Amino acid sequence: MRQQDGDLMSLINEDEALIAAALKGSAYAWEKLVKRYESKIYNHGLRLTGNSSDAMDLMQEVFLGVYRNLHRFRGDAKFSSWIFRIAHNKAVDMNRRKRLMTAPPKFPNEEDGGEFDNFPGRKELEPENRVGENEQNQRVLKMLNELNAELRSIVELKIFQSLTFDEIAELQDISANTVKTRFYSALKKLKVVSEEQNVLS
Amino acid sequence: MSCPKTQYLVQEYFSEELSAIARSELDRHLSDCGHCNAELESVLLAQQDLEQWQEQRVPHWDRGLQLFRQEHRIERPISGFWLSWQWAPTAVSLAMFCVLIFNVNVRSDESGFSISFAGSDSWDNGLSARLTEFEQAQRLQMEQLVSRVESRQDSNNVQLLQAVMQQTQQSTAESFDQMYAYFEQQRLLDLQDMRAGYEQLVDSDYETIRSLQQLVNYVGYQSDIR
Repeated sequence: MRQQDGDLMSLINEDEALIAAALKGSAYAWEKLVKRYESKIYNHGLRLTGNSSDAMDLMQEVFLGVYRNLHRFRGDAKFSSWIFRIAHNKAVDMNRRKRLMTAPPKFPNEEDGGEFDNFPGRKELEPENRVGENEQNQRVLKMLNELNAELRSIVELKIFQSLTFDEIAELQDISANTVKTRFYSALKKLKVVSEEQNVLS
Repeated sequence: MSCPKTQYLVQEYFSEELSAIARSELDRHLSDCGHCNAELESVLLAQQDLEQWQEQRVPHWDRGLQLFRQEHRIERPISGFWLSWQWAPTAVSLAMFCVLIFNVNVRSDESGFSISFAGSDSWDNGLSARLTEFEQAQRLQMEQLVSRVESRQDSNNVQLLQAVMQQTQQSTAESFDQMYAYFEQQRLLDLQDMRAGYEQLVDSDYETIRSLQQLVNYVGYQSDIR
């Protein structure tokens, strides 16, 4: 455990060293920093959006945001939390844009599924962009598809990013209890899909 | 066969800040309550399914390097030596400016260097003496030059005047001759004209006399008749 902590600390220090070098203009440091996080962000995007082109767009926007705001990064937070906060904001923006562009106008009193509502929508439009190479990932996406975007992002953060309920609450500006409630209803839905899939296979 | 505690229990199971006592209580309830146990197990199965996710490789992209290089090439700091000597031209020009403003004089002589400000003239006596000497010499030279030029100019003038006068004399004599000849000619012409006039006058007188004679004759004749 102590060894692990030491590794984590050195990773964080390495992040900070890379950030400092990148701020001084080192392209090498910037590339290294991106390489450290691009896979996490890309897979995060895949699970949120369900298709690789949106995941790619999201990832590029996230790193552009990181680049533009790198000088504002203070060492008081972990770089990984910071970058995931940016990713969350970009995902919300992206979803809002998509809803404006593609969806027919809704009446305000109609049931509103939340900020992420349209994310899984484009999957069938772009079969070549589907994450089809990997059967296991297909199953995961199929399960996640049963969730609306709000629940999906909480499952993503809790199960895949291993954040605590409090961290998720802070990130999404909601209460920890809301996070717990949403997580539980997500789990209930996932359980149903998982059981169906296990029966079928 | 449901349990009111199921939701709370599952939520707390996934919560990290659970104390050891709460954890043992939770385990105890799970072993007692079949519904909660089954629920949690299916939830954990679903979680397992999700954790089957395999990290996918990121497609090739430029990692924002083009933008990065583009923006950092412009403001790339000048490194090392030049960075530390950037102030030098400014300092030199400032020093020059001060030298100008305070009228600094630097003089070197046998005793070494001396620097004076605001145009102090304690040292330039020698220079001004040399300057007056030089001025006098120059003035003398100038005077000599001027006198030489003057004398040459005078002699030139005299010669020129003489030449001019000579020529003028000549031409005057010639023109007097010409005038004399002209007057002479005119006089001759006048004489001729006068002679012709007199002759004409004489002729016309003669004519008058003749007509008078004729008148006389006629008058005489008339009186004879009578």
